[in-house]
Order: sequence, then structure tokens, then C-alpha cells
Amino acid sequence: MSTDTDHDDIRGVFGLDFRTADRLYQGLLSVSAALFFVLIMFPVYWMLQSSLKTVEGRSQITWLPFEYFSLEHWGTVLTGEVALYLFNSAIVTLGTIVLVVVVSLIAGYGLARVEFGHKENFARFLLFGYMFSPIVLGLPLYLIYSRIGLLNTRVGLIITLTAISMPFSVWLMWKYIQTIPEAMEESAWVAGASRWEGFRDVIVPQTQPAIIASALFAFALAWNDFTFADILLPDNQATTFAPGIFRLINQGYGAPWGDAMAASMLTTIPPLLFAYFLQSYLLKGFQIRSL
Amino acid sequence: MAGETVEGDRAPGLSLDRLPVDSETLLGIGSVLPVILLYLVVSIIPVGFAVYASLHEIPLLNPNWTWIGLENYGRVFEVDRFWGSLGRGVIFMVGSTVLQLVVGLWMAMTLNRIRRGQKIITAVVFTAYLIPTIVVTLMTLFMLNTQYGVLHMIGSEWLGIWEPTEFALGQNDLAMPIVVLVGTWKFSVFITIFTLAQLRSIPQRFYEAAKVCGANKWEMFRDVTLPRIQGVILVAVLLRSIFMFNKFDLIWTLTEGGPGYATTTLPVLAYREAYNAQNFGLANAMAVVMFLFLVVGGIAYFQVFNPSDEVDT
Repeated sequence: MSTDTDHDDIRGVFGLDFRTADRLYQGLLSVSAALFFVLIMFPVYWMLQSSLKTVEGRSQITWLPFEYFSLEHWGTVLTGEVALYLFNSAIVTLGTIVLVVVVSLIAGYGLARVEFGHKENFARFLLFGYMFSPIVLGLPLYLIYSRIGLLNTRVGLIITLTAISMPFSVWLMWKYIQTIPEAMEESAWVAGASRWEGFRDVIVPQTQPAIIASALFAFALAWNDFTFADILLPDNQATTFAPGIFRLINQGYGAPWGDAMAASMLTTIPPLLFAYFLQSYLLKGFQIRSL
Repeated sequence: MAGETVEGDRAPGLSLDRLPVDSETLLGIGSVLPVILLYLVVSIIPVGFAVYASLHEIPLLNPNWTWIGLENYGRVFEVDRFWGSLGRGVIFMVGSTVLQLVVGLWMAMTLNRIRRGQKIITAVVFTAYLIPTIVVTLMTLFMLNTQYGVLHMIGSEWLGIWEPTEFALGQNDLAMPIVVLVGTWKFSVFITIFTLAQLRSIPQRFYEAAKVCGANKWEMFRDVTLPRIQGVILVAVLLRSIFMFNKFDLIWTLTEGGPGYATTTLPVLAYREAYNAQNFGLANAMAVVMFLFLVVGGIAYFQVFNPSDEVDT
């Protein structure tokens, strides 16, 4: 007798008993999971092993790095020009995350808890922001920033990236705050808390999953950004990782591929850690009935 | 600012009662004011500026702009490359979005059901989305290198898709499919995250209830799972289509629109027009036309599927 009717269909079709059907089902799932694991990790592995080989070793296809093992590329990356790009990227990403979270949390609170006219239209209008291609915005922003002195500054890029990732975060916060029972705040008010205190002591802690989710998305956007950084930071000294490394590789002959692979590996480690430790927050942040 | 006045300690609400607008409205507007300001600086003004610039003849970075009215728009539609790029853009957008939807849903279903190694495999899958595009590009270019690229070797020696001397991305008929596949590698996870979150939020008792009613697996999917995830899928597909239509960095860093014009979509064409052909006015006219296409497409999508109904509840 099967305790679980989950796999009756497979069983019926192939005339298998329950144990075999369950094994088959789990087996197929494992194969599919393994497939995704390999497809995603293979390039990452290749990047890592290439960064650990000497220049001569790089021109050989070997499945393991031991034969040509060397840490020279990692040394170059941690001290040279690429380190500056990585540093600039880190500053821009941090700035963007902080600004996005603060601005969207306040706006999300306003949309969810305060009654004022046209707020639905406002939120819908925000979503149209995604129709502006980075190219549509980047070209004019270049001219505007060059006139007001924000060209080649990290602040200019932070403002831009914040505005780009905001619509999504505002929606996330808005929808998430709606799921927090209003009674929690009201009881704080009854106890004498001001509106601000209610926001700070009730809403902010309760919204933690959405805060982490929107921070992660802001991270992905800022850490990722090539287009805006390329257009708004034309000066090599001020630029972030993506355009910086692209310009280095595009030198053509003698392009520092080993350094590029080591640096790429460095930019992949934080995402891996975030994805491992924060995945439940990330998913909870989206667990809103019909986002 | 309005928010501070209301939130301040001094007699909350007292002085505000005499204002023509109530404090609630002020607080509401105050809370979204930073969003509006950022939007104004980074979206509204640049788009206005782009429209203004599109009415001028502008050699790049030259301070002398010549007013030419709508001439650039006439030129946009004359450029035979424009329609070709639009077509390639649509192929890229539809191809990528469909592939990403299929792979993304498949990954979400898998991640939701596996029993062992769930956390580590989820982390690995999510990493694909968080790795910078430029890194994905560098990996691809490196692995397709004709001399020591491992994918080049697999494609030429193992599978025989291209000749050992050919650079895969340099082939007219291979460039676009490869760019679409690379995009799928990175962006499918966007759909996975949305869907997985929804799948996890479906209470197990729904399935148990369905089981009691004698539903089979397909009926459970149709009656329990699908209604819970379809809203989120509609939104995710809309966002992915828009993102793919506007996608510039991935294509530019992989192929710079080449070989020839084989992977030149509209954003790439606008960039080429601005920086290679040095015609900033025409580039902005293209950007404006592109934007209008998306607005029309977006409104049509809302009319047909109305994801905002899902969104507003």
C-alpha cells in the first residue's frame, strides 16, 4: 500500500510499484539538479583554474591547474590597476544599496500606510521607468552630468543606479508592508509611540526579508552595471570593474586574460556567499500574495 | 520636508490642521518625494533632454547644436539598418524570453522538489544571476578563444559545429544564437527566483486537500500550482521582455553588434550611431523611437494580460 499517492501517475503509466516510481521521480529530479549545477559551475570552475595557471599554462587546455600552478595573476590583481576598479565598484555598490533601501523603505511605507491621492497611479508610473533603456538615459545623462560636474564621479553613478533599481524596490516594500498587520503599529501608537517610532520599531524590523531582498537586487544591479559606468565614468582612474576590465581586455594583443580571470573570480565570490546565506530571505522577500 | 514636520516632537498635527492640505497627504507625498526627485533627475529630465537633442544635428561633444526639427526622425526610418536592427531585437527579445521562461520554470520546479543538497544547488543557481554580466562575457570570450578555449574545442573537435580555425562568435549564423544562449545562462534565474518564492508560499494543505478530492498530478498543477504562480509569471515575462529588448551590455561586450550587423539590436545601433558614427542627434532620435515602441508594447501587454490586476490586489 502506498502512503503517498504523489506518484500514482508515473506508476500507472509504466506499471511500476511505488518504490520504483518514487526512486525514478527523485532520480530524474537529481539528474536535472545535477545538470544545472554543472552548467552553471563549469564556467566558474574554468575561470578559477585559469586564474591559477601561468601564462604558458593558459594556452593549454588542462582540466586541472596543478601542472602550471601559479599565483602570479592573483598577485597582480590585488595590487594593480584592477584593484582600483574593484575598489571603485565596491564603493558604488555599497552607496547604491544604502540609498535604495532607505528611499524605497520610506516610499513603501507611504504607499502602504498613508492615504493620499493618486498613489496607485504613482506606483504604476514607476513601473514604466523600466521602459527607459540604459542607452536612452545614458547618452543624455552624459551631457547633463558633464555640465553639472557629476561626470567621472562615484556620486553621479550612485544616484543613477539608485534611481534605476528603485521602482522594483519600492514595489517590493509596498507589497511587503501591506502584509504586516496594521494592528501591530496601532498598538504601538496606543502605547504612546509617534508615527516615526512606529515605523522605526515595528515596520523596519518586520520588513527585514524585503529589505534584504531589495538590497540583494540593488547589489546585483550596481555590481553588474556596465552601461552607465562605461558612459558616465569615461576616465579610467574613476571607473568601476566592468568597463575597466573590458577596456583592458580590448587592448587586443597581450590582453591580460589571467588577471581578468582572477579578478572575475573575486567578483563572483560575494554573490556566491550572498546566494548561500541569504537565499531564504531573498525568497521570503518575494513571498507576497500576487506581487 | 513634510514628513519631518509631522514626525517631529512639537505638537504633532496641531499647526498642520490649519493648512489647506491635511497632514496625511503631506506625509504621503513626503515619503515618496525622494523617489520623485531621483526619478526626475535620472529619468524624466534625460528623456526630455533626449527628445530635445533628437531635434538637433549634434556632432558628438560639439557644443554647437543645429536645430533641424524632425529631420532626424525622418532619417531614423530611412536608415535601412533601423528595421533590420528592430527585427533582430525582436528575435533576440522573444528568443531569450521564451528560453529563459522554460529554463527558469524548470529550475524552479526542480529546486522546489529536490530533497538533498537543496540549499547549495539553489545558491549555485542564484549565483548565475548575481555574477556581473562582464564576467559572463569574459568567461564566454575566454572559453571560445580559438587557441585555448575549452568551449571552442568542444564545439569544433567534439561536436563539429564550427571549424577549428573559426571564432564561433565571428560567424554570422552562430553569433545571435550564442548571445541568446549566454543571456539564458545568466537571466533564467530571474524567472526562477520569482517562481520559486511563489511555489514555496503555497501551503502544503492545498495539495493534501486536492489529493483527498482525488486529483491527479496534472490536476493539482492546473488547479493549485498554476493559479498561484501565473500572476508572478506574467509580471516576470513582462519585465524580462523589456529588459531583453533594452539589453545593451551583454551584446556590446560579447560582439559589439557584429559580425557586421548580425547582433546589432536597437540599443546597440543607437550606441554605434552616437559613438562610432558621432551623430548624437540621430542616436537620440533612435532612443526616443525605441522608448515609444516599448511604451506601446507595454500598454498592449497590460491590456491583454492585465498583470496590474494581479499586482494591485
